[in-house]
Amino acid sequence: MSAEHILVEKDKLRVHVPAQTWQEAIAQAGAVLEEAGSVTHDYIDAMIAAVEEFGPYIVIMPGFAIAHAAPCPAVKKEDIALVTLEKPLNFGSPNDPVLVVLCVSCIDHESHLNALQKVAVALDSEEIFPQMAAAGTVDELFDILHHRSL
Amino acid sequence: MEELKIQAVCGFGCGSSLFLRIKIDEVLKKHGLKARTFCGDVGTACSADCDVIFTSPELADRMKERANVPIVVINSFMDENEVTEKVLAFFQSREA
Repeated sequence: MSAEHILVEKDKLRVHVPAQTWQEAIAQAGAVLEEAGSVTHDYIDAMIAAVEEFGPYIVIMPGFAIAHAAPCPAVKKEDIALVTLEKPLNFGSPNDPVLVVLCVSCIDHESHLNALQKVAVALDSEEIFPQMAAAGTVDELFDILHHRSL
Repeated sequence: MEELKIQAVCGFGCGSSLFLRIKIDEVLKKHGLKARTFCGDVGTACSADCDVIFTSPELADRMKERANVPIVVINSFMDENEVTEKVLAFFQSREA
């Protein structure tokens, strides 16, 4: 698979991450980008603060949350991580419970749009989230995300 | 008619609003409607030039006092039925 067709790199995917609260779920997704050096820990705090301030609208479709904060100095590069949760979690949204969390870091309002747009097109049906949540390995999750095993 | 400008709004204008904008674009295309779509953040959305704002229930509450254009509330940003229904209703309201 050529690089431009990869929506989320394998090393930015995690399956069945443990989390007891929505804050932990966001922190787990953010930790993937922190480990990759794309964001500092401040970004994780900013993503959690955003939900506290603006509400759980980040759960944009049933089962799926998109964690992000504004472009800020805590972002070192634009990046995308995706994790599935060990157990479904409530974020206080009508689209609860959340099974999959996408974490996006943006350095501005434009440069990541192309990458994120491709992900959005791939996630156009909510049926994909239970399938993702059932994936036992990163390889399986990667294939589902890229519609290779559907 | 002048091209309509539709603003999709989230907290920062760079994440979930993009998903909403993509869905609005799909609906416009499918129904042969023309409009310019763009993303905005809740802090500056009300001063951006547009004909309508699409956003979540929580963010709509924050903007309704300040907005000079109609605000359309979308509960599920990727729900094609909901977005279709509300986009078409908006266009109908403009034609009336």
